[in-house]
Amino acid sequence: MFIPYLAREREAEMEQPQLGCSGAEAILNLPPSSSISIAYHPLFGPHDDLILLELDEKLLPEVLQQRITLRGQPDEDAVLCTRSKTYAVKFVGTSNSVFLIPPSDQSEFCENSLDCIGKDYDQQVVASVIKSAPGNMELVEVAPRLDKLKLLLSVNPYRFGEDIEMEDLEETEKSYTGLYKWDDLVEQVQASDEELRSALKALSAVEIGGYWRIVDDKYMDTILSMLLHDSVLNDWSLDLLNEDEVVSMLESDGFPQKLARHCLHVYGTKVDENVDKRVWRLDERRVCVHFAREILKEGKRKMDTFMAKWMQKIPEGMRASFDMLEGEVLTERLGVETWVRAFSVSSLPFSPAERFSILFRERPKWEWKDLLPYIRDLKVPGLSSEGLLLKFTRRTQPTLDAEPVFSAR
Amino acid sequence: MEIRVKCNCGEGNCPEWAILELQGAVEAQPSFQGRLQNLQIGILCRPSSQEVYTFTVGYHELTGSKVSLKKPLLVLKKTKYSDPDHEIGESDFSSRVELEVIGVIRHRILFKTRPKAIISKPQPAVKERVGMPGSVVSNQTA
Repeated sequence: MFIPYLAREREAEMEQPQLGCSGAEAILNLPPSSSISIAYHPLFGPHDDLILLELDEKLLPEVLQQRITLRGQPDEDAVLCTRSKTYAVKFVGTSNSVFLIPPSDQSEFCENSLDCIGKDYDQQVVASVIKSAPGNMELVEVAPRLDKLKLLLSVNPYRFGEDIEMEDLEETEKSYTGLYKWDDLVEQVQASDEELRSALKALSAVEIGGYWRIVDDKYMDTILSMLLHDSVLNDWSLDLLNEDEVVSMLESDGFPQKLARHCLHVYGTKVDENVDKRVWRLDERRVCVHFAREILKEGKRKMDTFMAKWMQKIPEGMRASFDMLEGEVLTERLGVETWVRAFSVSSLPFSPAERFSILFRERPKWEWKDLLPYIRDLKVPGLSSEGLLLKFTRRTQPTLDAEPVFSAR
Repeated sequence: MEIRVKCNCGEGNCPEWAILELQGAVEAQPSFQGRLQNLQIGILCRPSSQEVYTFTVGYHELTGSKVSLKKPLLVLKKTKYSDPDHEIGESDFSSRVELEVIGVIRHRILFKTRPKAIISKPQPAVKERVGMPGSVVSNQTA
């Protein structure tokens, strides 16, 4: 039994809308000069399973078409992904009383009209509060968390002889050797589909037998060298490589078709999409960088030695210049000699905090022109490259006309 | 782990929910604590054709207005399913979580003013307690 509060005097001034129990729509469409009783719903309670999420209007179509997912492992903070973006999800509390009123036909909360408070107020319409919300979730756009992807795919890079081995493995054995299909990557990596595909491309990953793989360096070197060797043998122009010819020749050399095509993707660019034949042009920079990396694999070299070796290794007809190695090598003066060593931006983390940490560990001070190639690819929503520098570095300028120098914060 | 956010609203729009928002807390008489279901909170009035509203709770009258939210709020329902077939001790995902959009909120009726006391009313079951920092909790009796 409860004691109803009746504002009888006020009622007399106001019109009463229709009979029965009603909800949100009655409030949202409350006509002028009318009133409505607000009560706790028969099922009022904490309803922790009801969550409010603030969302930009432009994301609403994605929601309606069910293209929104939450991704993350139990020990990670969940992220919300659309097809192309990733958002961190944060709870924002409120000290206000936020009374949530569902529409009257909301099936989970729709009670038999006999249970409605309306029965005691046959003249009165009632809107019911199902829950008082403690706050809502908010979205903040973030960079996808891609370092995990690199980590996962580096566990078991594709290497020689593997195609034969794979055939002998049982399905259960395969799952223990760190192999990931697209769906497995979606389970593990906090990124949207588009960002994930983009990252796979940037890592030069290839899908073999349904599994996404990074191909090991030695393998890529062998297949590229074979391609170049075949080009000389068959007098192919490196600017007009016929895909079918190249692939078939590499197959007879013992390489799987998939890897042959992958080699063209990694080191070449497609020329004019020809319906009958697909034609590729080898990219001078990518090929030359590859050979530079091969030379520096064993350690640093003296500049002269390195340059001489490099000129020897690159294919006939290609020209290599040192500026191609921006973001790939670092130089240092030891005594009177200049030495070169490998330091590739592709080996660095995607996350800005970790990236800068490694950069400053490598070298405590950087000039802008040297630093740029190593941070150019960093993408943080809402932060420009100036913003990034401000956040993660300390800028000093010894004299007015000297170059500014960046060091760790 | 991937949880797809389901939405069965179709291409149209999701059912629209409403929010009444007050600064402060609503308190029921001690005898009604824990049995709030079906209890009336107050009366919402729209005196004129403007989007101005009054909300009378106990012997307080609040004045507010209907505002559009800058960004809509989705009402999500989280459901946890436990798989009865999984043996105890088997790793993780014996329970599955599903999220479904069951509503959208585009407007709220927000009451920001200090409550106005309405004099000589019977002792209400539910009264509005102004819990703003620095203020004294009103303790008026009819």
